[in-house]
Amino acid sequence: MSAVLPRHRVNVLTGTKSARLIEDAAEYADFIKKAKRPLLVIGPLLLASTADGKLLLEYALDIAKAAGIPICATAQTKGKVVELGVKPDSVYDVVEIANALKDPEWQGVKKEGNHDLVILFGIRSDLGNQSLSTLKHFAPHLKTMTLCKHYFPHANYSLPNFKKDAKWQEFLESLIANLKKGD
Amino acid sequence: MAELKEITRKLEEIHRKIKAEIPWEPVGPTPMPEIPDLRQWDMRLLKTYAPFYAPFCDLCCFCTYGKCDLTEGRRGACGIDIATQQARFVLLACLMGCSAHAAHGGHILEFLIERHGPDKKIDLGTFIELEAPNIRTVVGLKPETLGDLQIALEYVFKEIAHLLDSCHTGQEGSALDYESKALHASMLDHVGMEVADIAQIVGFNYPTSVADTPLVDMGWGAIDKSKPVILVSGHNPATSTVLIDYLREHNLEDQVEVCGLCCTALETTRYSDKAKIVGPLSRALFFMRAGIADVIMTDEQCIRTDTPQEAAKVGSAVIACLDKAMYGLEDATDWDPDEIVRRMVDNKEQFAILDSPKAAEVAVKVAMEIAPKRKKEWLSEEEAIELAKKCTNCGICEQVCPNLFSIGDGITEVAKGNFDLIRQQFLQCIGCGKCEQECPRDVPIFRLMQVAAGNETWKCRAGRGPVMDTEIRNVGAPITLGTIPGIIALVGCSNYPDIDDIADMVDEFAKRKYIVVLTGCAAMVAGMKKDKDGLTVYEKYPPDFDAGGVVNIGSCVSNAHISGAAIKIANIFAALPLRGNYEVMADYVLNRVGACGVAWGAMSQKAASIGTGFNRLGVPVVLGPHSSKYRRLYLSRKEEDDWRVMDARKREIVDTVEPAPEHLAYVCETKEKAMPMIAKLCIRRNDTPQGRAVKLNHYISLYKKYIGAGLPEDIHLFVRRDPDIPLVYKKEVRAHLQEIGWQPREPIGLPTLIGTYATKVPLDAVIH
Ligand code: SF4
Ligand code: SF4
Ligand code: SF4
Repeated sequence: MSAVLPRHRVNVLTGTKSARLIEDAAEYADFIKKAKRPLLVIGPLLLASTADGKLLLEYALDIAKAAGIPICATAQTKGKVVELGVKPDSVYDVVEIANALKDPEWQGVKKEGNHDLVILFGIRSDLGNQSLSTLKHFAPHLKTMTLCKHYFPHANYSLPNFKKDAKWQEFLESLIANLKKGD
Repeated sequence: MAELKEITRKLEEIHRKIKAEIPWEPVGPTPMPEIPDLRQWDMRLLKTYAPFYAPFCDLCCFCTYGKCDLTEGRRGACGIDIATQQARFVLLACLMGCSAHAAHGGHILEFLIERHGPDKKIDLGTFIELEAPNIRTVVGLKPETLGDLQIALEYVFKEIAHLLDSCHTGQEGSALDYESKALHASMLDHVGMEVADIAQIVGFNYPTSVADTPLVDMGWGAIDKSKPVILVSGHNPATSTVLIDYLREHNLEDQVEVCGLCCTALETTRYSDKAKIVGPLSRALFFMRAGIADVIMTDEQCIRTDTPQEAAKVGSAVIACLDKAMYGLEDATDWDPDEIVRRMVDNKEQFAILDSPKAAEVAVKVAMEIAPKRKKEWLSEEEAIELAKKCTNCGICEQVCPNLFSIGDGITEVAKGNFDLIRQQFLQCIGCGKCEQECPRDVPIFRLMQVAAGNETWKCRAGRGPVMDTEIRNVGAPITLGTIPGIIALVGCSNYPDIDDIADMVDEFAKRKYIVVLTGCAAMVAGMKKDKDGLTVYEKYPPDFDAGGVVNIGSCVSNAHISGAAIKIANIFAALPLRGNYEVMADYVLNRVGACGVAWGAMSQKAASIGTGFNRLGVPVVLGPHSSKYRRLYLSRKEEDDWRVMDARKREIVDTVEPAPEHLAYVCETKEKAMPMIAKLCIRRNDTPQGRAVKLNHYISLYKKYIGAGLPEDIHLFVRRDPDIPLVYKKEVRAHLQEIGWQPREPIGLPTLIGTYATKVPLDAVIH
């Protein structure tokens, strides 16, 4: 497999184990549906809006709702989440949640057991990729996935680098539709 | 028996070096500690604040057995695993940082001893008797002369060799032990920094025992480019102070403009208030490419490696003044100065001159000769708009930008005549030049940004060196009781993520009556923002080490005065002996001194060792998002971890439940998150109810201001009893506590970790 370069070159992989690039929303939805205890970790980049004025955070909340995934609100995202009428299931920073996830005995944000799939969405790419590196190396008991518009080499599953935001938004909408469709 | 004899001999040797016979204080358990001596303390810290690794590379390529793939539990050919490899890398970074400062100290000391002799007395003025808290604590020596400083430095050099040795392939196999070594290296860094700055203050007559140092001009607009301009770049003031001396002796101070980049700028303004600060490291390449400098004199640390090439492009002359960076230039140290001047002027040659007086003479003569012939013009806005039209917004510049933003967007706007976006982006730009290097259309991105940045000037207060003993006496009680909510130390590089953040943080915490201290590039950029009345934080807040004060301590090496201030609180205010007594000092600081370091834009290895040195002393440090690339943090898990401490008064172990401080090295993604986090990290177990209420008031109010949505989710962990709840939020907090079934608990009399782990320090040692 030829290496996929991340959008930001500071995140280029020096290693052997890189994310599987997935472009098919149905496949992504399947991974999420198959997970027993997924977790959606949302970051402050979601406080920005798309060109057509939709708050990116709304995609995240729609995904969480469609698949019944608990949310972990990092940085200052909690404020906006609450404003949109949703109570986040947990509030940790990305390094804190990664630190907890590393521990196989941790009971997760629902106290039902550690998560088996962690989805990162809206975290600055250097910090996001580094946090994924932590999980890749020290949390072999779980899989990771990203929903940002760039490729993240340290994840297990990542989207490609989208040249156009519209294509990415299409993906996210299709993912939501797929999640809503039962299996 | 033989072993015992060895220990005695060794101890005797240490006692001889630290002049143990001078009885200013009894010698504590760890004078001149070696690697194992403070290991138990480190392990105790690391139990609560466990290393959190984010590997930057999956491989190791340190030796010819490699590259070794360390993923999925694999070990390298030498047996090392991924966590230990990260820790080894962190130790190396801390050693680079520590060595940079210690070698800087060594050079300065040699230079000053040459000038003043080894018996030159250390005198830091009327209000500073405790001149060297780090040296006294770690080394056990009370330095009275420049020569004494050398003893401290020799100890540091010896330890560095042992630590570096441990990084060799096939040795240390424990990440925790590498962390203990990194903590050791970084503690030594504070000793090295203290040596360097005390020597500088004594040898160069820098201001000391005074708070109200001059306000100096900052920004490239402050530089009079009609005069010959000499730029000093780096950290070591041996170059720049001698340059100022030369100008003074030849009555040229008003005819030649001296300006500085990075810490050398801060050092130079401690020596002459006529010198100007160009700005932090992130402005270096911009300023060089502008060609304003006629001569560039480089010294050491965080000067760019491409200085000779960049200077040659714009016709600036270059003199490399220190052996750390000789750039492959011919060494002209022993030549006749006029011969060097001739060759620099006629042939545009660049030289290394490792003798400061000669370098100064040559720099001035060259600058005066070539300045009248050089053109120094800024680009006009019209020209910028024309040049910007070359940009196709292809996005390649964004891909290589370490701060992850698209300067192409800003340039596209410039092409339309709009400079707003690029002006904003200039504040985020770390000045690395990668974008321009990659641009397929050869857009002169730097010159365009320069136009956008304009010629605004600001004020920075000149660095003042150590906090005065008198100030410590005044604030000791309110700090340990908690009524001064904390000491916020904004230190180190300021490059990331947006240089405005620093001024915002200073303003927020000074307004709230925290004590705000600054060093290095952070101290500069704090002054690079004006409020609506046109004032910088240095003009707006008093320069005192007191509630609501904003104090520029000095350059990077002045960080030792911040750790020193924390030690002074334990020693002067709490009257705990410090000599060879590091564990007691660190334990006191961790449990009772509400201080938090903020290395928001940290980039360098020096920042790694400065921060890690604070950590060993019990001071938590908040870092910016990109600092996840340092590979290691120290994090607790507040709900799961063990927060038991010893109550030294009752002599029993108490479960405090409270994560205070919660982390030792922590990355925040945004300024908004950092604000409440910094306030939280100032909470200490020792806070009185009144003090705790003040701290929680700020924690809650910053949380509401920057995050919104109710109360911090961990607030219950920090409320011991009802009086801890701040008045303004009484109702809301009480209702919340009731809802979650919170139970009150007794505040603790005298919290300490001593007694909770194996240590030579007796419990009585923490009782004053
Ligand atoms: S030091 Fe160890 S892990 Fe690194 S390349 Fe050599 S054998 Fe491999
Ligand atoms: S790389 Fe050059 S042409 Fe491309 S967007 Fe950046 S400045 Fe414009
Ligand atoms: S010089 Fe500035 S804009 Fe260009 S790549 Fe570096 S940080 Fe980004």
